[in-house]
Amino acid sequence: MALSDNELIIQANNGNDSAFEELIYRYDKSVLSIALNYVHDSDDAKDIYQEVFIRVHRSLKKFEMRSEFSTWLFRITTNVCLTYKSRSKKHLQLSIDEEYESDDDNRRNELVSDNKDPGELASNAELGSLIGDAVDTLSSKQRITFVLKHYEGYKIREIAEMLNCKEGTVKKYLFDAIRNLRKNLNSVYAAAY
Amino acid sequence: MQHNEYKKLIQLALYGELNADEQKILENHLTSCKECRKEMEGQRSLLNIISDSEKKEINDSLLHDARSQLRGALRIERGRRTFEIKNIFNLFDFINPPYRTAIVGVTTLVVGIFMGYLLISPSPEIRYITMSDNGAENVFYQQDVKISNITFLDSDASDGEIEFKFDAVKPMHFKGRIDDPNVQRVLTYAMLNEQNPGSRLNSINAMVSENKLNSDPEIKKALITVAIMDENPGVKREALKLLKKLPYDEDIKQAYIYVLSNDTSSALRITAINALFETIESGKKFNETDLKLFKEKSKDDDNNYIRYLTKTILQEYD
Repeated sequence: MALSDNELIIQANNGNDSAFEELIYRYDKSVLSIALNYVHDSDDAKDIYQEVFIRVHRSLKKFEMRSEFSTWLFRITTNVCLTYKSRSKKHLQLSIDEEYESDDDNRRNELVSDNKDPGELASNAELGSLIGDAVDTLSSKQRITFVLKHYEGYKIREIAEMLNCKEGTVKKYLFDAIRNLRKNLNSVYAAAY
Repeated sequence: MQHNEYKKLIQLALYGELNADEQKILENHLTSCKECRKEMEGQRSLLNIISDSEKKEINDSLLHDARSQLRGALRIERGRRTFEIKNIFNLFDFINPPYRTAIVGVTTLVVGIFMGYLLISPSPEIRYITMSDNGAENVFYQQDVKISNITFLDSDASDGEIEFKFDAVKPMHFKGRIDDPNVQRVLTYAMLNEQNPGSRLNSINAMVSENKLNSDPEIKKALITVAIMDENPGVKREALKLLKKLPYDEDIKQAYIYVLSNDTSSALRITAINALFETIESGKKFNETDLKLFKEKSKDDDNNYIRYLTKTILQEYD
């Protein structure tokens, strides 16, 4: 019978490296998926993945098992995503500062062209790229909330635990994210709608 | 309830996040409100477009790469931690237990005060100058000085004065012996920071030619960083070779292990496994984690020579 997360944590804390590996391999695909959909670059995603598990390795002894290991792990993942600076610096880096979060969206909206003719969107790859750019223009917290909800399918309650905030705040991030995506993808959206 | 509030409910409904009461309120409203029905279709359409085109899936190759790199990073992490803990405890081993706690406490306090002093005391590199200084040392009068990184401390010129700091970089010419520790420090800096790979390589080559390499821990740390992180395989390879000239220890072993485990260049992995193999001849031992890696490499590595040499090492341990 497979050991529980907490049993593996106890073993890992006693120096059992295999137990640590078994523990992280239960969740590492989800961590990598969140990272990849957040940064849209496999090298950056691997950097985030590595940073997350190095932090887990350093802090596992401090984990008091009051919450699920997965909740703690994904909280670390979201923190690393929010503070990550792309090595290629090709992604727009926006402040995660709360004041900045609420300021005008127009500046961000300028970053994605809405003048493209839908007929010119020749392939899914091009459409994907346009959508990727639109997602990249979201503020850090809007983007991580959108990724966790839309791509990873977490409940708003779970996202609130990961981001250590209230459910209402998550709903606001999500609402703002969708509103901004809608503005930024105006041409594509209008063609399909 | 305003339309804007219903729009939020619509979005939550599409994500399956409404409770029964909210769902009922929304459904009732939708039956009578054309604008909100249109809004719902619009939002659904947008989410479908995004879902269909952009979800990035994790493939096995990416996951395998990420795990492989993580294993290497964890090896270094574990090695570093073992090294640090071992050294801290060894330091106080010779003291009798009743006094050990007190001495550890006092030492921590002294180190803390010293660190505090270093942090709080002004840096000796910062010099305050005024434009009225016109002596030979005033950087404004030196033609070969390059000024960069200007940061304003007070840009308000209303009182006639401003204050800023900057880096003043002056070209230096130096000729000296390669065994001079100061020269080796400059070369170490160059191999870590020079943009030009040729300069990094020249710095390492100059040190390779010196048999009595300075065993300064900073040089070792720099070489390990270059061997693992440099973008240029040629520079990495020279750094690996130079590490062999330093006294072999756990940090250096971990660097070889990391390269063997993670580097995509078979030439670099061969350099690493050769270096590890040579340590057996001088009586050094490998732990279980190392042997596990050798076992993996003896089966999975793309390169015949690496598979052969890891097998040979394992046979030595049988």
